[in-house]
Amino acid sequence: MLSIKDLKASIEDGTQILKGINLEVKPGEVHAIMGPNGSGKSTLSKVIAGHPAYKVDGGSVELDGKNLLAMEINERANSGLFISTQYPTEIPGVNNVEFLKMALNSKRAFLGLPEIGEDEFKKLCEEKMQLLEMDERYRERGVNDGMSGGEKKRNEILQMAILDPKVSFLDETDSGLDIDALRIVANGINHIMSPEKAVILVTHYQRLLDYIKPTYVHVLRHGKIILSGGPELALKLEEQGYDWIEE
Amino acid sequence: MDAVTRIQQIGMPRRNNELWTFFPVARIPNVLSADGDCLHHASLVAGSANAPRNDKQESLDFSKENDFAALLPLAKNARTMVRTIPEGANEMAMLKCNDDFGHTVLDIGKGAHVSLEILDNKVQHEIVAERFDISVGEGADVEIFFANPASDLPLRFRHFRIRQAASSTVRFSNILTDSGIGRISMDCDLDGEGASFDYRSLSILDNTASMHQRLTIRHNAPNTVSTQLARNLLSGSAYASYDGMVVVGEKCTKVNSGQLVNTILLSEGASVSVKPVLKIYHDDVECTHGNTVGELDAEQMFYLVSRGIPAAQAQRMLMKAFAQETFLPLPETPAKKRLLQTLSV
Repeated sequence: MLSIKDLKASIEDGTQILKGINLEVKPGEVHAIMGPNGSGKSTLSKVIAGHPAYKVDGGSVELDGKNLLAMEINERANSGLFISTQYPTEIPGVNNVEFLKMALNSKRAFLGLPEIGEDEFKKLCEEKMQLLEMDERYRERGVNDGMSGGEKKRNEILQMAILDPKVSFLDETDSGLDIDALRIVANGINHIMSPEKAVILVTHYQRLLDYIKPTYVHVLRHGKIILSGGPELALKLEEQGYDWIEE
Repeated sequence: MDAVTRIQQIGMPRRNNELWTFFPVARIPNVLSADGDCLHHASLVAGSANAPRNDKQESLDFSKENDFAALLPLAKNARTMVRTIPEGANEMAMLKCNDDFGHTVLDIGKGAHVSLEILDNKVQHEIVAERFDISVGEGADVEIFFANPASDLPLRFRHFRIRQAASSTVRFSNILTDSGIGRISMDCDLDGEGASFDYRSLSILDNTASMHQRLTIRHNAPNTVSTQLARNLLSGSAYASYDGMVVVGEKCTKVNSGQLVNTILLSEGASVSVKPVLKIYHDDVECTHGNTVGELDAEQMFYLVSRGIPAAQAQRMLMKAFAQETFLPLPETPAKKRLLQTLSV
C-alpha cells in the first residue's frame, strides 16, 4: 500500500534529516513511529506530503504503486494520503465547513466524481462531528482558528473522517489532548480505520497505543528506523527510554 | 476664495507636495495651462473665472484647501447636490453623481441613522473627480460605503470632507478594484466629544493599476476615536500607497487612534508605499500605527493544498479570507452585507 524505500531528505541549508527510511505499510495495519525529539519523525510526514521546505535527496515513496514524490501536493492527498501535522495551521477567515467541502470536492473531482450534494455533505458532516463529539460551533469557525490544541487535533480527525484517505500519517495526534479528548480522538481513528486502510501514528507515549493497537512499532533515530517490533516494543520504550537501543 | 483661484494659487500637484508624495503626478493633465486644457473645459483655464458656478459653491471659501483633488470638481463647475437628512431620521440611500465632476453636500441631523452607498457614474472623460462634504450631527450613526465593479477609468479622484459632532459615529468602508489610477482623499474632523470614525479599505489591484489613499483625521475633541484599516492584495505591477495622518489637538484627552496597513504582494512587480504621520499635541492619548507587507502565508497554502485543494484555488481562498477580514468587525448593516457579498463573487 505505502512503500517507502531508502528515503533521504534535507532542509534548505543542506542538512540531511532523513538518512534512508524504509517502511512497508499494508492495508489494515497500524504503524507506530516513536523516537526521541529531533529524530526526523515530523520531517518524514512532511516529506511524504511534499512540504516545500524539504528536498528529497533520494529514495522512493509509492502509494498503491504510484510514485508519490512525482505528484503535486494536492495530488498526493487526492490519491489517498492524509497528513496531520503536530501543530495544525490556523487559517482565520477560511470557514471550516467550506474548507472541508472544498477539500472533499477536490478529491471527488480528482477521482472523476461529481460534487457532493448539499444535503449529503451536511449529513456526512453531522455524522462525523457526532462521532468526534464536536459541537456546532466548529462549523462557524475558521480552520483551526483560535482553537485549543485539543480542538485542533479533533478538527484534524474530522478532516480525516470526511476525506476518507487510504493512508493517514498522524503526527503526535495525542499531544495537547486531555484524557477524555484522547479517548474521543482515538475512538474516531479506530472508527475510520478499516481493513482497506492504514494508519501511521507518530507518538511519544504508550497512552495513545492503549486505545489504538499498533501492528508494528518502529523506532526512528537520527533519520533512520533503527528498530522495529510488535506492540510490546512500545511498552519497553515507555519503561526504558531509547538509550538501550544500539544503532 | 473660489476653487479655480485656489488651484491657480497652489498649482498642479507635484511630488514634493506631501499630499501627493506617492502619486504619479505626471499622469494628471495640466489643467492650468491654456494649451494644456485637454479636458476641454474653458472654465479652468486662467482668466476664465467668469464661468458660471452654482449657488452652493459661491458660499464656500477654499482659501485653506490645499488638496488639488478637493478643488478640482468645483473648479470644473460640478453641479452641487445638497441633501439634508433630518434629525432622528432612519435612511438608506444611494448616491450617484450625474456628471464626471460631482459635488455632494450632505447634512445629517442629530441622532439620524444613515446608510449611504456611493455608486459610480457612467463617465465620459479621462478624468473624474468627485467631492463630498458631509456634516454629521450629534449622536448620528452613519455608514458610507462603496464597492463598485472594477472600472478601467484612467484617472479618478474622490475627496471626502467629513465633520463630526459629539457622540457621532461614521463607518467608512470601500473596496477598490479599478484598473486605472485612483486616489481617495479624506479630511475628517472629529469636532465633538465622543465622536468616532472608522475607515476600512480593501484594494484588489492587478496589472498596472495604481491606487492612492490620503487621509487626515483631526481629533479636535476629547474622547474621540479613530481607526484605520487598509488592506491591499496586489498582483502584476500594481501599486498602492497609503498616506495616513492623525492629528490630536491640545486638551484632547483620552483620544484613541489606530492605523494598520496590511499588504500581500502576489507578484514580484507589485509594490506598496505607506506613510503614517502622527501629530500629537496632548499627553494622555493612545495612538498606534502598523504596517505589514508579505506574501500569502506559505504554511497556510501548504495546509490547504495538502488537503487536496489545487494551488490556484487555495490561493483564492486565502485571498478571499484576507479580504473578508477587513470588514468582518463591522456591525450587521447593509454596508457589511454589500461588501462581503461583493467579495463572495
